[in-house]
Amino acid sequence: MTTVIEVKNLTKRYRDTLAADDVSFSIEKDTIYGLLGRNGAGKTTVMSILTAQNFATSGEVRIFGENPYENAHVLSRMCFVRESQKYPDDATPRHAFRIARLFYPHWDQELADQLIDEFQVPMKKTIKKLSRGQLSAVGVVIGLASRAEITFFDEPYLGLDAVARQIFYDRLLEDYSRHPRTIILSSHLIDEVSNLLERVIVIDKGRIIMDEETDAVRGRAANIVGDTAAVDAFVAGREVIHRESLGRVSSVTILGELTAEDLSLLTRAGLDVAPVSLQQLIVRTTQHAGRTAGDAERAASDIDEGALR
Amino acid sequence: MIDEGRALFLQIAESVEDSILAGALAEESQAPSTNELASFYRINPATAAKGIAMLTDKGVLYKRRGIGMFVSPGARELLLGERRAAFADRFLDPLLAEARTLGLGPDDLARLLSERAARTLTEGTAR
Amino acid sequence: MNRTLNVIRMQLVNRQTYLWVPVIVLGGAFAITLAIYGIIASAGVEGPMYGGGAQAPLWYFAVVGAQALTLTFPFSQAMSVTRREFHIGTHLTAALTAALLALIFAVGGLVEQATSGWGMNGYFFYIPWVSDGGPAAAWLFFFSLAMLFFVFGYWGATIFKRFGTAVLTAVLLGIALILVGLLWLVGRLEAWAQVGAWLGAQGSLGLTLWGLLLIAVLIASSYLTLRRAVP
Repeated sequence: MTTVIEVKNLTKRYRDTLAADDVSFSIEKDTIYGLLGRNGAGKTTVMSILTAQNFATSGEVRIFGENPYENAHVLSRMCFVRESQKYPDDATPRHAFRIARLFYPHWDQELADQLIDEFQVPMKKTIKKLSRGQLSAVGVVIGLASRAEITFFDEPYLGLDAVARQIFYDRLLEDYSRHPRTIILSSHLIDEVSNLLERVIVIDKGRIIMDEETDAVRGRAANIVGDTAAVDAFVAGREVIHRESLGRVSSVTILGELTAEDLSLLTRAGLDVAPVSLQQLIVRTTQHAGRTAGDAERAASDIDEGALR
Repeated sequence: MIDEGRALFLQIAESVEDSILAGALAEESQAPSTNELASFYRINPATAAKGIAMLTDKGVLYKRRGIGMFVSPGARELLLGERRAAFADRFLDPLLAEARTLGLGPDDLARLLSERAARTLTEGTAR
Repeated sequence: MNRTLNVIRMQLVNRQTYLWVPVIVLGGAFAITLAIYGIIASAGVEGPMYGGGAQAPLWYFAVVGAQALTLTFPFSQAMSVTRREFHIGTHLTAALTAALLALIFAVGGLVEQATSGWGMNGYFFYIPWVSDGGPAAAWLFFFSLAMLFFVFGYWGATIFKRFGTAVLTAVLLGIALILVGLLWLVGRLEAWAQVGAWLGAQGSLGLTLWGLLLIAVLIASSYLTLRRAVP
């Protein structure tokens, strides 16, 4: 597989916050990636740096093996319409698409026309006056019709209703099947997009906490539900990332594949196994990572305090 | 339909296997293509491809150059063997656990089994 | 080069900014000026009348320069246009618009000379010491002037984009202080006569060339600022 994006130790510091903290990952050609994380986790920052719209404090970025900065040859093969994209004051969607057609060498007008129709984009209204959903639709049309070899979609569905979102996902997959390209989709709605993603990269507080094949992550956790004592007995010695109790019933999320023996053990103990969706897994892993980091910090400061005494 | 907690490629493979077992997908007939599966289930084509690859490795499907994927001869037997081996684990253990909770012993279970099996038979012939 | 030329098309999407408002500003200033001349002429004043109305479109050009950056730069980044392509393409657009404006002024000046100031000895476009060198030199003078205003607006906008309002304000204040300082210095040295003589010796062509030099410096400076600006 060819690597099209290579990121090494990327750090972006804003005064006292680290928007990106020693981020490293690589992106393979013609694969759909999810760049997942909470709002403010660093997704847009990373994507802007990859497209040379923003600058790293330190670290290295290579697109098609080159530095993207002021590199028309590399940049013209990428497309990044950000979530809060600004357009020229008097521009209408018609203008925006016409301009996009000028700059994207693989622009497909037929596809654009089809999408404009499906999303009902008002072509002659100034972009300033569009609703949030219509604005997102403009971004989606540009992203899809650009057929750029590396296309970023930054929270592309904001403001789109459920029908429009489904249209987007369907058209994305359809176009990807017929004309494969590298796609990076940033999202905080993990479950909605998870079926589209071949790989997921999870970023939290500027750090990469997961970078794997989606299917490998699915099934990595399980919810064990039932009588608290029985549940506790089963999960002893396993990595617990979440725990809930209601009376004598507990629901515990554990990491690790369940073997056939585990399953029969569970059945005999009268415990239920519920699947953990990708979103739940990522959310709970993030919270868990946050807690253990917090515990580690507290433990470290405790040690310091002890030394001071 | 799609279980969010399990690897998608496995579920794709299973659904194709189900079709073969049910007879809907005959041996030597063409299997759905990766793109067809991806489109139907609304998933990434690469994931669908992985499921197909798994079935090919297993010997359930084979590739005819330039045409596509086809169901291997003997695929149904293969799958039957597999599913039968797993039958006790998948269906009997949960059944027995539930029966124990309800206080139903092996004799009760045997009786229920015969009754229900007979009913299904009569319903089948009545149609 | 193609992508750079396409930046011109991208800029010209801002129809109001580049076409309608300049036309309105110019037309309005012209109409008002002539109306005032009419009133003064009918009051019996004979001597040639010159107004400052023609300045209006020039000041607006500074606004155009600033908006060329603020309105279109972020979108150009989304179109995967490099900062260099944007910088050059936008200044080419400015040159085209400035050339057109200069043409209007040069031709307007010729018309005014031919009609003796619209029949009322009132002049809007025509400036004697500018037109002395002929219509081509006049065109170059107006072109240089318009470009200077545009480039200054753009230059200020790049500082704003990169460093923010506070720094921009500080820089503008700094420039104002330097200019005032220079004026004070000239006064202190009682060199007004020499300064005046030197300016006169330059002539309109000389001033035009100095203007072009200043334009080149500002274009280079704003490019350096733009290189690290974030959309």
